[in-house]
Amino acid sequence: MQTFIAVFLGQVISYLSKILRIGGGSAAPGLYALKLDPDIVSKLSSKIPMNVVVTGTNGKTTTSRMIAHFASKSGIKVIRNHTGSNLERGIASTLINSYSHILSENIDLGIWELDEAAFNTVAPKLKPDIIVFLNVFRDQLDRYGEVDTVVKNWCQTLKNLPPKTVVLVNGDDANTAKLSKCFKGVIQKFGVKDFKIVGESLVHEKEHGNLDYEAKNVKLSGLNGSTFALTIFNIRLTINLPLPGVYHIYDFLAAFAAGLNLSFKPDTMISSLKNFSPAFGRVEKLPFGYIFLIKNPAGATAVFETVTPNIKKNDRMLFALNDNIADGTDVSWIWDANFELLRNSPRAKSRGPSLYVSGARAYDLAVRLKYAGFDPKTMIVDDSLSNALKEATMGLKDRLFVFPTYTAMLKLQSILAKTKIKKHYWAEEN
Amino acid sequence: MKLIIGYLYGDLMNIYGDTGNIITLTKRAQWRGIEVQVKQISMGDKFKKGDTDIFFFGGGQDQQQELVARDLVVSSKGKIIKQEVERGVPLLSICGGYQLLGEYYKPHKGLKLPGVGLFPAYTVASFDRMIGNIVIEVNGLSLIDYRKGKKQRYTINDTRYSNLLVGFENHSGKTYLKKSAIPLGMVMKGFGNNGEDETEGCIYKNAIGCYMHGSLLPKNPKLADWLLKKALEVKYGEDIELEPLDDTLELQAHQVAVLKYS
Repeated sequence: MQTFIAVFLGQVISYLSKILRIGGGSAAPGLYALKLDPDIVSKLSSKIPMNVVVTGTNGKTTTSRMIAHFASKSGIKVIRNHTGSNLERGIASTLINSYSHILSENIDLGIWELDEAAFNTVAPKLKPDIIVFLNVFRDQLDRYGEVDTVVKNWCQTLKNLPPKTVVLVNGDDANTAKLSKCFKGVIQKFGVKDFKIVGESLVHEKEHGNLDYEAKNVKLSGLNGSTFALTIFNIRLTINLPLPGVYHIYDFLAAFAAGLNLSFKPDTMISSLKNFSPAFGRVEKLPFGYIFLIKNPAGATAVFETVTPNIKKNDRMLFALNDNIADGTDVSWIWDANFELLRNSPRAKSRGPSLYVSGARAYDLAVRLKYAGFDPKTMIVDDSLSNALKEATMGLKDRLFVFPTYTAMLKLQSILAKTKIKKHYWAEEN
Repeated sequence: MKLIIGYLYGDLMNIYGDTGNIITLTKRAQWRGIEVQVKQISMGDKFKKGDTDIFFFGGGQDQQQELVARDLVVSSKGKIIKQEVERGVPLLSICGGYQLLGEYYKPHKGLKLPGVGLFPAYTVASFDRMIGNIVIEVNGLSLIDYRKGKKQRYTINDTRYSNLLVGFENHSGKTYLKKSAIPLGMVMKGFGNNGEDETEGCIYKNAIGCYMHGSLLPKNPKLADWLLKKALEVKYGEDIELEPLDDTLELQAHQVAVLKYS
């Protein structure tokens, strides 16, 4: 009865917040429902036949989205939490909003993206069949604490999970690979041949790891994606991934491994890749260029490595740094991200004012770029993102690369929607 | 002229963007035609008096910090650092580095971790997490002295901000200064040493310890220049006037932080 009332209340709040247009109803319903029934997540999720949990510092959204894509192409009905609500209340909200579908057994699979800290409290409640650990990097130390602490807590949580759980870990990240010591069951590892995560970066390093899913013969084709080989059940598969950079190969491997464990057909998954589009702001193609979310040193450095060789003389770059809670209130991280890489692009060597710097902490970022070797004379600093975007697109001869932090990306989304450049994004289904 | 920056335990103690301080010292010296070499001084490395002209010591994770604490004592690096600071070599230490240069660190459980004893201060573990932007007013440092008689090229030149330092703190250790200690500054916004007595950091001769990440030096270029100036004066034994740089962007970043957070 308590659960029923909690769900009902949640649905009323969700309905009200939608008609009154206060937020998207992604957190409040869950927040209040949890107050009435603290076990609501575990009660509702137990009615879903299969649950997958995805955690890690970078790639959660892309990986979850890709598993959902594989599922829908395999005829599986999915619910998943929306980007940015990867705490318990967000998950409770998603469950409440889909309550009738869950009860009528209309949902086959729940895919749950959990942030590094929420994992420890929420994952046990979801009793997942599959858990994916993508990687762990320094990220928003003001929120998550140190890397060692994150790994220690994950280890503790894993110890208490049933051994039949399928645990998928990034075998190239020593921090996730060592989780095998914390788990009674079997761990499956994915990775890329001759790559290792060292500190905050992905480096080329020859080493024989025993990977269950290993990408080999990687060929990167600029911003269009990559091609690589993967041997599964003694069959060699060739994968054309439409997302650029080695870091996206890990997201694919995690999603693909999860799919195989859910008995999706490999061929179906692989052929569906050509229709896969990343979430807003993750390698987002726009009529005038690209958006690459940057949010922590490792993620930003990976993006710069991918983008730098592809920047042309007349391209422009727009950076936007905010310091809201969702971005991390500590902007120190920009000093650990390798902005120096961008100095090697042809763009950096040409002249003219074509670096645009924006966001609440625009000047912090401008200073970072100056110390990375860019001439302040080539920078236009404007803390208003809509002004900066206007200036950056005015007279643009080639493409604009936009690098926003999380809340700057959301702001960008709303600016673009207003200017009707990306109208359809309002209908983005997650 | 040439400066050697000694990056203490840079491989273990480099959390929270403290590398930005090394980048800033390096660039600001190079822009003035001063050659810079960054020398890593870590576990197993040997170093002796006169090897470096400035020390930087950042923060680290708990486990690494314990290793480093032991190495400072066992390898006698701590003793050499102290002797160098006594003869005027400048040093900047932040968070974990600052704690290890105090007299001791008292964890929640177990024995006191002995420190180098450079700063007359000690640190006690607490369960409060002191996180957020921090603004302090600096009195113990003659940060603006070298600018006397210099033509200013700053477009923002509000003297109200010239004795303020801005940064971001994130610590649970509470540092208490002993009677003889001089704080780096007084807290205007934030927690500082312990969240109780409004002091932040400590200064002894030309050595500074504090909790200010941010990174600290990029947004506080005067402090960066103070360290460079002291290093050159100690090394070359003469008064040094650093060539002024165009710090428009740096001071704007400084001012945004001051206005937003104090």
